[in-house]
Amino acid sequence: MPLYEVNGNAVGFIRILSMAKGGLFMLQNVNRKAGIILFLVAMVYLIFSYQLPSYPYIPVDADFIPKVLGWLLAILSVALFFAKDQDSEEQKKKRQIPKKDAIAILVVMGMVFVYILLLEIIGFVMMTALFIYLTSWFLGYDRHVTNAVVSVLFPVILYGIFNYLLQIHLPSGILPV
Amino acid sequence: MDGVLEGIVSGLQVAFSLQGILFVLIGVFIGTFIGMLPGLGPISAIAIMIPLTYGMDPALALVLMAGVYYGAVFGGSTSSILLNAPGISGTVATSFDGYPMAQQGKAGKALAVAAISSFAGGTISVILLMIFAPVLASVAISFGPPAYFALMLLGLTAIASLSEGSTLKALISAVVGFMIVTIGIDPQTGTARFTFGSANLLDGIDFLVIALGLFALAEVGYLIINRKQKGMKNAKEIGSLKLTKEDAKEMGGPISRHSILGFIIGILPGAGATIASFISYITEKRISKKPEEFGKGSVKGLAAPEVSNNAATSGAFVPLLSLGIPGSGTTAVMLGALLVMGIQPGPLLMTDRPEIFWGVIASMYIGNIFLLILNLPLIPYIARVLTIPRPLLISMVIMFSVIGVYSISFNTFDLYLLLAFGVIGFLMRMFAFPAPPFILAFILGGMMEQAFRQSMTISNGSLMIFIENKIALVLIILSLLSFLYPIYQSYRNKKRAAREVG
Repeated sequence: MPLYEVNGNAVGFIRILSMAKGGLFMLQNVNRKAGIILFLVAMVYLIFSYQLPSYPYIPVDADFIPKVLGWLLAILSVALFFAKDQDSEEQKKKRQIPKKDAIAILVVMGMVFVYILLLEIIGFVMMTALFIYLTSWFLGYDRHVTNAVVSVLFPVILYGIFNYLLQIHLPSGILPV
Repeated sequence: MDGVLEGIVSGLQVAFSLQGILFVLIGVFIGTFIGMLPGLGPISAIAIMIPLTYGMDPALALVLMAGVYYGAVFGGSTSSILLNAPGISGTVATSFDGYPMAQQGKAGKALAVAAISSFAGGTISVILLMIFAPVLASVAISFGPPAYFALMLLGLTAIASLSEGSTLKALISAVVGFMIVTIGIDPQTGTARFTFGSANLLDGIDFLVIALGLFALAEVGYLIINRKQKGMKNAKEIGSLKLTKEDAKEMGGPISRHSILGFIIGILPGAGATIASFISYITEKRISKKPEEFGKGSVKGLAAPEVSNNAATSGAFVPLLSLGIPGSGTTAVMLGALLVMGIQPGPLLMTDRPEIFWGVIASMYIGNIFLLILNLPLIPYIARVLTIPRPLLISMVIMFSVIGVYSISFNTFDLYLLLAFGVIGFLMRMFAFPAPPFILAFILGGMMEQAFRQSMTISNGSLMIFIENKIALVLIILSLLSFLYPIYQSYRNKKRAAREVG
């Protein structure tokens, strides 16, 4: 069975394009929520745009394009607020993320945060080895020996390539090399 | 004409140098590899490679990045055929007939048809690229700032109206991308904009932070959700790669038609490999004498999108190399990398840096031959890539993104920004805001603002300059049409629907 129904018209294939990427659920007012948030973004951006200094004798100053962009986003966000939700079912399915997966994503984000936080202090090799091993384990990879070998080999080889071949110095941290 | 010939020779020297051949091989190999992995697209692949290219000769760097791009489109077909999970969006149409063929036990045949079609589409379109890019460059050489501004405007409106899903959302995505690029010191007046007193923001946000966050990290989010998705159990199930004479005969038609069609669609701003492959599939089905075979393992139905998506990737290089204007998210990322290296692609590239212009084109011939070898006799071994456990893959992609950003900024502030853009990219995917218009506007935005303000300085503040300049006027009218037509179309559809109901 082909995964995607093909109907031979242009609207159909654009639909398919948006279906192509993923997964039934819709929030009736998802466009309204997004519209409100984007409108607020536009307003904040505009407030700062109007505070930009301008100089005499310059036909178009540094504040011109930001003001245009701010108003443009404001208009588009209002249009989005009143627009019908045209997303395909596949696309809507993407909005419903099972709770378990949402937690998994948040935990991985937390791990990335700690990785960044300690990268310069502990050093690239040790933090990367720990990050790859723990993240892969957390996500369900249970072949510990392979995992350990990969998570040590990769950072060591990459550190070598970057520091000695490319002359790009990654943080050495607490390791002496 | 002498200049062109010398240029071609210097390009061939780059492409056939030991380094040139090595980098094109590395590029297409990594491209094939990442292209096969469902979930990771060519933009992520190129963004991950960028830090490696910073110390390199710009010609070789572009040879490598281009190799990753067309390699990903070439390799993406493998997972479409074997797993029914397209490696990249450009190979979705490949699964329509490729996967049914594989289910009938003819996976080897499907892979062979796909590889030969990709090779033919890739090679024929490079010949077209060699002809069209110089012609367009010689026309564009007379363009001033007003025409350039109009050209970039056309690129932006086209990608917003042609890209998948809602036009409105694509436009919003583009406007926000443009807003992000206004952060930092204004190059013309020196005014610090939206920096909130942070020294880290004075130089603006690096495009690699956006590319890796919005694409690689955001894709990781969906990789986490789909981490238990079926992988390939056994690479030996592929079967014979041999094609019969009849198969070869059937491929002839699609190859000649769709290499040209795909190339033309690739040139259009906003329409890349994905749209080209769908249009080719639909066209081939329409003109076929046996349309009922389509979707059940038709050789023609598999060949058409494969020829077309590869031809479109070459087409995408026409505006990049001859105008210096990217027509898609992928070429925008390549342009960003070139700008960092101090290379400004544009109509002068062909005469000023012929080794880059002709080098990358010449390398594509070699790249396509390598790809044919990688994807035909070696495919049973390479398909093992699909057996890589997802959890390991996820942590690797995150690590490569972190290294990528750190190696250009040596600053953890940019890494937090990377994480933030990863979250934004994930939310954009969740709520169906397309990311390519964002990155395109981010890259084009700065150039557009500059061209606009230069034009206004020339005209002393009069907008008439865009009307008096004929090229600019035509391009602005085209942008307005590409912007207004989808709105008119949806209005007409609504009216028709209302009439049918009433």
